[in-house]
Amino acid sequence: MATDRNAKVTWTGSLMEGSGRIEGVTSGAFGPLDVTWASRAEAPDGRTSPEELIAAAWASCVSMALSHALAGAGTPPERLETSVTVTFQPGEGILKAAIEIVGTVPGIDHDGFVAQAEGAKQNCPVSKAMTGVPEVTLAATLATA
Amino acid sequence: MPRIVRDADVVWEGNLARGAGAITAASSGAFEALPYSLPTRIAAPEGKTSPEELLAAAHGGCFTMSLAGELTAAGTPPGRLDVHCRITMDEVEGKGHLIVHSALDVRARVDGLDAQALAKAVDAAHAGCSFSSLLRAAGVGIDIETTLDG
Repeated sequence: MATDRNAKVTWTGSLMEGSGRIEGVTSGAFGPLDVTWASRAEAPDGRTSPEELIAAAWASCVSMALSHALAGAGTPPERLETSVTVTFQPGEGILKAAIEIVGTVPGIDHDGFVAQAEGAKQNCPVSKAMTGVPEVTLAATLATA
Repeated sequence: MPRIVRDADVVWEGNLARGAGAITAASSGAFEALPYSLPTRIAAPEGKTSPEELLAAAHGGCFTMSLAGELTAAGTPPGRLDVHCRITMDEVEGKGHLIVHSALDVRARVDGLDAQALAKAVDAAHAGCSFSSLLRAAGVGIDIETTLDG
């Protein structure tokens, strides 16, 4: 079954001096969120940006895929903390995504965890939609008790 | 122009079917600890966001800025752009769940612009939008509907 999710965005004025707003989304979970070119390309000043939203989408997708894989291997996670950093170069595009995962996973060793994390990085739907990103790195570690 | 870096943080607890996560915009703080789960990702959202919804916001935001830039460069900065983005995830035979489609519905109110000039700007925005480029590279279908508001 296909799943659809929607977002509505408005923009007024030129790119540099104008401003935009992510008015709302299907779920109503967030919005309105203001966006501007300055807050995208320089300091965020409390405003989100397409790159931050991609980072959020990717981190949430990889976390789900990894929880699924770990449970399938008989070692469901207690907790996964995932950070994704997206690097954007105006004029060139999105150059890099760095995925960092710290897991609390009873019954698995470091190598086993890294292998599952690598699989999640390869296979989650957002990763498969972002195969055009030239460099995607993964750092996966187990939390020290 | 220097490289731009943006971060997001997610915490997930438990297995996929019964676990739950929370999503934070770590660079800006624009949203914090938004809850999400598998049931609300694939069925009714029940007020919870999902990776696909965040992608819809990202693509809508990226394309809108790209179009504002193209219209500005053409000497016809927009009065107002309304862009709706719909991201579709589906299970594809032999490939599992994939992002299969993004649909952009664009309404533009721009003084001095005709439909042909708008279509040209939309094409350029689509070519230049970094998110559109990534979806194209991954083979994700993209459709754009454009309406010029008088």
